[in-house]
Amino acid sequence: MKALWAGSLILAALALVAAAPVAKIQSMLAKPKILCGRFEQSKQLVGLKKPVNSNGRFCVVADKGVLWRTLRPFPNTLKLTRDEIVQLRGERVALRLDAKQEPVVRMINSVLFALLAGDLEQLEKLFEIDGVAQDKSWSVTLKAREPGLAKAIGSIALDGGVYVKNIVISEASGDRTDIVFSAIQTGDGAMSADEAALF
Amino acid sequence: MNQRTLPAWLWAAVVCLLLAHNVYLWIGQRLAPDSDILALLPVEERDPVLQKAFSKMVESAEQRLIVLVGADNWVEAGRAADNYLAVLAPHKNLLQADEQIAQQPQQDWLALFQQHRLVLVTPGDEAALRSQAQPYWVDTALAKLYSPFGGVKPGAWGDDPFGLFGEWIQARMRETPVRPRDGRLFVSDGKRQYVVLPFSLHVSAFSMAAQEALVPLLEQARQAARQSDPQVEVAAAGVILYAAAAGAQAKWEVSIIGIGSLLGIVSLIWLTFYSLKPIVLIMVSIGVGCLGALSMCWLLFERIHLLTLVFGASLIGGAQDYGTYFLCHRLGTDRQSLDSYQLLRRLLPALALALVTTVIGYLALALTPFPGLRQMAVFSALGLIFAWLTVVFWFPALVSRDAVKSAPLVRWCFASLQRWPSLRLTRSTLSAAGLLIAFIVFGGSRLTVQDDIRLLQNPPRQLIDEQIKLSRLLDAPAPAQFYVVRGETAEAVLQREEALKQRLEPLIEKKIISGYQAMSNWVPSLRTQETHRQLIEQRLLNNDGALAVLAARIGADGSWMTATRDRLMASAEKLTPDDFLKASASQLVRHLWLGQVEGGHASIVGLRGVSAASLPLLRQAGGALEGVQWVDKVGEISSVLARYRQYMGWVVALSYFAVYGLLYPRYRGATWRVVAPTALASVVTLALLGLSGQGLQLFHVLALMLLLGVGVDYGIFLHEHPSRSDPVAWLAVVLSALSTLLSFGLLGLSKTPALQAFGVTMLVGTGSVWFLTPCFARVSLERRSGDQGEEQKFHREEARQTKIF
Repeated sequence: MKALWAGSLILAALALVAAAPVAKIQSMLAKPKILCGRFEQSKQLVGLKKPVNSNGRFCVVADKGVLWRTLRPFPNTLKLTRDEIVQLRGERVALRLDAKQEPVVRMINSVLFALLAGDLEQLEKLFEIDGVAQDKSWSVTLKAREPGLAKAIGSIALDGGVYVKNIVISEASGDRTDIVFSAIQTGDGAMSADEAALF
Repeated sequence: MNQRTLPAWLWAAVVCLLLAHNVYLWIGQRLAPDSDILALLPVEERDPVLQKAFSKMVESAEQRLIVLVGADNWVEAGRAADNYLAVLAPHKNLLQADEQIAQQPQQDWLALFQQHRLVLVTPGDEAALRSQAQPYWVDTALAKLYSPFGGVKPGAWGDDPFGLFGEWIQARMRETPVRPRDGRLFVSDGKRQYVVLPFSLHVSAFSMAAQEALVPLLEQARQAARQSDPQVEVAAAGVILYAAAAGAQAKWEVSIIGIGSLLGIVSLIWLTFYSLKPIVLIMVSIGVGCLGALSMCWLLFERIHLLTLVFGASLIGGAQDYGTYFLCHRLGTDRQSLDSYQLLRRLLPALALALVTTVIGYLALALTPFPGLRQMAVFSALGLIFAWLTVVFWFPALVSRDAVKSAPLVRWCFASLQRWPSLRLTRSTLSAAGLLIAFIVFGGSRLTVQDDIRLLQNPPRQLIDEQIKLSRLLDAPAPAQFYVVRGETAEAVLQREEALKQRLEPLIEKKIISGYQAMSNWVPSLRTQETHRQLIEQRLLNNDGALAVLAARIGADGSWMTATRDRLMASAEKLTPDDFLKASASQLVRHLWLGQVEGGHASIVGLRGVSAASLPLLRQAGGALEGVQWVDKVGEISSVLARYRQYMGWVVALSYFAVYGLLYPRYRGATWRVVAPTALASVVTLALLGLSGQGLQLFHVLALMLLLGVGVDYGIFLHEHPSRSDPVAWLAVVLSALSTLLSFGLLGLSKTPALQAFGVTMLVGTGSVWFLTPCFARVSLERRSGDQGEEQKFHREEARQTKIF
């Protein structure tokens, strides 16, 4: 009886330890209505020694969605809203996925939004979250709860402080994507006029 | 046992056999009537491949049940679906939810196609490979590379740098709007979110026991789903639901018609004879008729359709005719002069003619290619024959000289006949005839035709609504309209499918149809696979192709390019139908592949989003293509209905001549008086149909055929006794007409449009014949002396016939 009691105490403690970072990280993160910044993306592809680099700007607007603009070496804009994913190559729409037809669009958008905004509570619905939180910084790794999704996405690592600083996506196929965020601005002035026009 | 009673004993032995067989069928075999609606449809005898195609389409649907559970949000829909499933979960012996489709990871079904990546290309990309220049492909590959989430990606970027295979996978996913979501199947109409629940039935959809167990269970599940939120919507579709609705309806109608007719006949006989014995006798003849019909039908068809029983219930009205006829004559015949055997001998010619004309009417129904109708006809004809034989073999032995007594109804009959108008050259007759002709011309001119397949079944509105909702949401392929593609080899079939699909693409662009399902969507012909490989190799993978430029742009060295090209080329293995069919991914299209058939291979190309307006265009699209055949089962049945409406119209007309010929030796110059009332009644019925705006359909025509058989009986009965002072024959006609009106009038209440048409036609027709026959009857000797010569001839004839029997 005593052993059982002790055992469940340990379990409870473990649960506390595991649960703690999410709440703590949530409290550390600023949650602005508009968040924009620069990104540097580096892709390490299977069979390719040198990484493939690109950079650009991104915006996360609460209740609206995500704008992901690759500027170099190749202008390409991805807009994710509640109802669709649109890819613009220059002015031309290269891809449009409608959430009405593809429910997966909504899932991608909510995951991406949560990733960029660091909304771990949202992510916890789909991913097992494992991580540590210190005074001013934190890092977590995400593993999809559903085996099918885990196979498709692989694993994701996040770290940051007040904002998310780095995202590393390791695909099951072997491709790896590193994204570093910088020059983060918040508030109404964060978004440029042409960015606002795209939404 | 003397010589006179020997036939009665022999018949008793036959009846005992029938009884034993029926006991064996109902109790030993647990005989359950068939409720398969399709059993009514004509068989496609000409072409076994078409028949196989259709039965494959049907089979794929027969043992399935699809349920949609919808709510305003996905979580609520999921909860409702769980409640729905919870009710059904303990009944795995009846049906089981197909869960593996939703839970199977996408990767599993992708695995098969991975090794054939290079040869699987959408028609759109194939066109782009031919027309687009190198920069297009380089840009496409780079956009995919730099975008963090570039659409569907089955593997590493280097496995499909130009996104051709990803595009093909997406095209396959677009063949159905249903998506896996959180371990369930999901579909949405933009407003509501639906969980799709496919079930497999473990019992036959046409088993009445299964229907009776399942339907209340599904209703209970529906209640459970809506318990938490009344806004939750549940829609179900499945062959078993239709079969159950048809079965319940038919059972109800069998009892209404059966019990109604029986009660009516019992009271009629009671009013006529005021005694129990005639009732028992008539019931015995009807009973033996029913037993015989059931037994023989089972031996002939090895199944009994429910609608046969509905139709057969109207037999009760017909089968009592012969017994009534005999009993009426027993009543009217002088007890001293003739005993019952002598009486039978005298009545036999008329009885035989009456049976033959009615059976001819029924057998004409058996000439149609509708198996259900054939069974109904055979059932009815057999029932009449057995009832007739019972009267002939048993009644003389059972009915003693003074078995029956007269009652008030007989006196009323007698009085009514005296007052009945008769056809003479008077002003009133002529003006009545003029009015009748005007009515017939006016009604006839307004007669339209109606050959819709919906005549054959009329399921409850709710079932149809739910079915329509389901097919719209699931964008399901049409079950009754499709193409059958044939060729000597599987490869030839696939190539022809591809030629057909090229013709269908413009129709999809114009939104005339929403898409097609075909084996070649998944497994292109070897020729097309080879074309894809060559195109990719030439345009993208050669030394100065898009891949080389791409390598330079991403700063890769020559070894990356070689390695990538080799890996891509290694996935250019050809995919064959056999390999595909073994994989779980083929589940959606397996029923489309007919495989090896007579004279080669065959497949079905299914169509989504088919509307009535698109049918002519679809027929046209398939025309002139070798090995491609357009199948429109609905149109085909409608055209069969139309063809047989015309054909049976001629049969009816010719039958009048045949009956005339059959009756002529007995009635000579008076034959027209026997036949004309029925012919006139038929025309009046047609005019009434025209006036009431009911389109003339095959089943009206078939009923007119039957009317010929029944109506001429009245003429025969009356003409056997030409004197108006002799009410006996008239009594038999009145009883017979009343019971026929009752039986077919009740059949007219049937919810099956075909049977209703039958009932209404018989009701109006029999009523008219009943009224008209005495008008045409020869007026008795004392009233018309001019016709004496003919009259005497008739009596001589009768005497001669009587001697023969």
